[in-house]
Amino acid sequence: MPLVDPVTMSSSAIVKGAVAQPTSTTKSTPGSQATESSTTTTGSSSPLATLRPVQIKQTPAAQTVRHALPAALTALYLFRFDALVTNPVPVMFNALPVVAAFQMTYALLCLPAAGEPASKSNRKPRPGEKKKGGDIGSSTIITALLASVLTSIATPFLYLAMVLFGAPFLTHGSHTFLCAAHLALLALFPLFYVHGVDSAAWAAVGGFRAPLDETFGGLVGGLVGAWLGAVPIPLDWDREWQRWPVTILCGAYGGYLLGRVLGGTLFWGKKF
Amino acid sequence: MSFRRNGSLSSTLLLIVANVLIPVAIVIFATGFFPYKPLLPGLAEYEPLDGYGEPPEAPFDKLVFMVVDALRSDFVYTTNSGFKSTQSLIRHGAAIPFTAHATSPTVTMPRLKAITTGSVPSFLDVVLNIDEGDESSSLASQDTWLAQMKAKGTGKLVMYGDDTWLKLFPGTLDRADGTTSFFVADFTEVDHNVTRNIPGELRNDDWNTMILHYLGLDHIGHKGGPRSPHMVPKQREMDGIVSQIYKAIETQDHLKSTLFVLCGDHGMNDAGNHGASSPGETSPALLFISPKLKGLQTNQDSPLPDAEDFQFYSTVEQSDLAPTLAALLGFPIPKNNLGVLIPEFLSIWPKKADQAYLLHQNARQIQTVISAASGTKTFDGALTAESCASPSSDYEELACAWQGPSKIVMSARVGDDMNSQWALPVVTWLRKAQELMSGMASNYDMSRLILGQVTALLAVIFSLSTATKTVSPTRSLTPLLVISIAYSIMMFASSYVEEEQHFWYLATSTWFGYLTLRGFKRANTTFPAHLLLTAFPVLVSLRLLRAWNQTGQKHAGTPDIVKLFIEPHPHFLWLLVGLTYFWTHRQLVHSFHGRIPVPINYPVMTGLVLAAFTFKAAFTLEDAPELVVEFVKSSLLDFTRGASLIARARAVFVGLGLVAMAAMGFILWEMTGTGGNRKRSRPKRVPAEAITTLQHLYTILALTQSRTANIPLFLIFNLLYWFLSNEIDVLDGTGLSTVELAISSLLLQYASFFAMGGSNAISSVDLSNAYNGVSGFNVVLVGVLTYVGNWAGPVWWAFGTVVLLGKIWRRDQRQKRLGSGNDGKRGSDEKEEKAEAKQRLEEGPVSLFKTYVAVTTLFTAFSVAAVMAACTILRTHLFVWTVFSPKYLYCVAWSLGQHLVVNVGLSGLLYWLGSL
Repeated sequence: MPLVDPVTMSSSAIVKGAVAQPTSTTKSTPGSQATESSTTTTGSSSPLATLRPVQIKQTPAAQTVRHALPAALTALYLFRFDALVTNPVPVMFNALPVVAAFQMTYALLCLPAAGEPASKSNRKPRPGEKKKGGDIGSSTIITALLASVLTSIATPFLYLAMVLFGAPFLTHGSHTFLCAAHLALLALFPLFYVHGVDSAAWAAVGGFRAPLDETFGGLVGGLVGAWLGAVPIPLDWDREWQRWPVTILCGAYGGYLLGRVLGGTLFWGKKF
Repeated sequence: MSFRRNGSLSSTLLLIVANVLIPVAIVIFATGFFPYKPLLPGLAEYEPLDGYGEPPEAPFDKLVFMVVDALRSDFVYTTNSGFKSTQSLIRHGAAIPFTAHATSPTVTMPRLKAITTGSVPSFLDVVLNIDEGDESSSLASQDTWLAQMKAKGTGKLVMYGDDTWLKLFPGTLDRADGTTSFFVADFTEVDHNVTRNIPGELRNDDWNTMILHYLGLDHIGHKGGPRSPHMVPKQREMDGIVSQIYKAIETQDHLKSTLFVLCGDHGMNDAGNHGASSPGETSPALLFISPKLKGLQTNQDSPLPDAEDFQFYSTVEQSDLAPTLAALLGFPIPKNNLGVLIPEFLSIWPKKADQAYLLHQNARQIQTVISAASGTKTFDGALTAESCASPSSDYEELACAWQGPSKIVMSARVGDDMNSQWALPVVTWLRKAQELMSGMASNYDMSRLILGQVTALLAVIFSLSTATKTVSPTRSLTPLLVISIAYSIMMFASSYVEEEQHFWYLATSTWFGYLTLRGFKRANTTFPAHLLLTAFPVLVSLRLLRAWNQTGQKHAGTPDIVKLFIEPHPHFLWLLVGLTYFWTHRQLVHSFHGRIPVPINYPVMTGLVLAAFTFKAAFTLEDAPELVVEFVKSSLLDFTRGASLIARARAVFVGLGLVAMAAMGFILWEMTGTGGNRKRSRPKRVPAEAITTLQHLYTILALTQSRTANIPLFLIFNLLYWFLSNEIDVLDGTGLSTVELAISSLLLQYASFFAMGGSNAISSVDLSNAYNGVSGFNVVLVGVLTYVGNWAGPVWWAFGTVVLLGKIWRRDQRQKRLGSGNDGKRGSDEKEEKAEAKQRLEEGPVSLFKTYVAVTTLFTAFSVAAVMAACTILRTHLFVWTVFSPKYLYCVAWSLGQHLVVNVGLSGLLYWLGSL
């Protein structure tokens, strides 16, 4: 998996850029339950009620990246679409590090890392207060790396799930696996970055009871999109793009981007 | 209270009305969609045509008509064909080759009808082809070239081969020996039965028509596809017969004026199947062979290179055979013919007047058919120039177009000097008439289509209102509505109809994914344990189900579990089959445990299951001998050697009947005998277990009627059943509800149908088990056996659902007794649910069954309405007869057979027995 190397390279570049900017701490979420953390320890009687939607950081960089990256991903997808149709495996393989870099940038700049105090302490920043060390410190990079490791661990499971839902098993192995890797990078990586291995949070996500935000919206959108991507395959139009797994990947990307944007804006904080 | 009673009563009434409307809608729509085609009765005579002399003299007086079933054009004409001597006949001009276009449905009976009458059989003939005993499909009262040859009185009619001919022509054939296409594994015996009669008949001179119909090549196709290693040897065998007959014609004096026709009734696709309209299926070969034909000097090239579209030499319609035979053998063209005299043969008659006579006869005869169809006398010459300037109908346009060709035949009649292409406009006109009359698009009865549609929509409305009344909370109907609406939309796309299985597989996986996901919330399981022990096995089962049999059109014949793992490893297959029977045996014994003493229980059940198993083994030995392993052959079959298949099957059926009667006896006995005192202490428990006996007995019937390779699927069904049953046993209020069970059942009924190899194509109807234990022909028996053979899985799930419904009822009773089990846990609709539970207790267990029927009725009404709408809107679509009409027939089977008879009728009976 060419995940780590290009990722660290690109993220280090971002670190420099990010450090150069004076950044303020994240804006607190309004609400009375502000002191409750999103990473409540497991074992409490009802830990799920406290999971709160993820706030995108309020830094100018974060806000720029938040809007720029979906556009960049769409552009990348459209740009590589013809190549993807003719040659799915190499195109998907080569796109992985780029998408990973995009997601890494997004996570580091826009999302609160798991266990990061900034995301938890929602105290209002006093005017003029500066956070020590800035937003992207070594700990967030480690979180990002950890999240990418978790993402690659999750990929085989996602592959298995795709096979169980009807992906070819004996043929197109690399097609399906790469598709699963893309889906994992899109839909799971931000969640790993935000929640780490917090089982209570994951239980809420797995039970579809988490509140909608960019990360969870992206997951739901990506999964539903990939699921709907199977719909046009049986049609007898005999188009090249009906081949496995173009429609699935297309659905995953479309669904993820839609879910991320809608989850971050229109449906933010809502639950199923 | 009375108010609620009224509400429940009205919803029951609505449900009944909806279920009455469904069959009514189906019947009304069918009468408009499959219109009765008027047939001209009686035997044709030569039409009196002015200005001609006697009918021209025919060059032939005897006919040898050899049909090789599924003889695709390339089997004869290409380089890698086994028909070497036939190809040399083509080169020498003694054989004139064609590709005969066979219209869909490409199955034997409609094709033989087209070949013999020259007409295009109606779509309903496909159904009658399956229901072979139907007398109305007989051609005894229709005009065919067989009837004409018989009327000539110059000899007898003899037939050897496929007994479809005997069914089509009862009483017409003087000497016949029919062979039944029963086991497709039989490649040699079916053909040997034909061939052994040939030498004797070639010496006889008392016949004027000899029909030979070989089935072996079709069997090879069904079994191994067009590239089977048996294919070329079989072609050589057929080639040998062709040259044997040709030599006899050449040498023997009484055969010298014999026309020898070799043809296929249809072709086959790449998987070796037929029924639809792919180029391979619609392109059989057709050859006219006689030494006399050398005079035409056609001398075509042979062999030819492969052609993608299977079109070799010139292409004619299969129905063209009838008028061509009429001309060559000298009899009037059969009355309902829509064929066109093949123009290549015209030059046999040296005089132009004769040629004109033959064409004119052909045209006049088709004009009679058109007049009968249009109900007007369009060809009486009353048409004016004005009405031809803007013809009001297709018929009138055709009549106007006849004026040109009519002048040409008139001048040809008197022997005017004309160029060699003079006949072309006449033939073009005939082809145009043929095309118009073969298309049946104009024959729909629109008012009936709309009336049927409206009735179906009423059924949808009623079932919707009853479902919303019966089911609470109403939002639990959402998945059902999503399924119904998505399915309805899908019916309008031909490829989704062809590939319907994907819909059910994806929906089932998603639904069960949701059900298992829900289980994660429960406190009593850990995430990995639930994942490994519940979610994973369930989803893997569904994945295996999906991959078991490749079905649909697009990827028919591609590898699936049966082809990749089962067929190459028969030991593995028999291990799974043995396991399935063993498991059923165990369950059966268990369900009788405590009712009859063990010394009786064990031997009886073991005997029954062994009888069923040995029948299956013996049947497989005939049907697919390559699948039977030595162990099964030696240990089990030798044990019961000598018993015929029919006797074995009857033993199974009689045994099943007796045990079923015993089980019903127990149910009734336990009800009356213990009703007074013990019923209170063990309410509903014992009888509910007694109906599981009936469920397991049905499993044995289902196994008996299923293909051997499909039997392991019942193990998978059992696993899914176990999952559903466990989901019901959850007592914390999150267990499976009635609606959820009904949706699961609906999904599994459809998914299991497709998993067992079903599809929406007529050719996928599995008839291999339709005659188990039946010696003669019995429409009802064969119909029931065919239904169980194809819907074994869906019926299994319907009966399983009944048992599970009883389980839900008992769980709810227990939950009620436990009382406050789920108090305070539920959200907003708890009140509603409580009210529902209360109502349920008032109505008794019937309310559960009502909910189940409401769910299946809702979906059935939706599907019926959608299929009707699709058939109406797309009635001029290219695929209407190949995709949408078969879908309509399947929809009829699903809604009348599966929904009304099985899900409402039989399941209702079973549920009633269980709740006694």
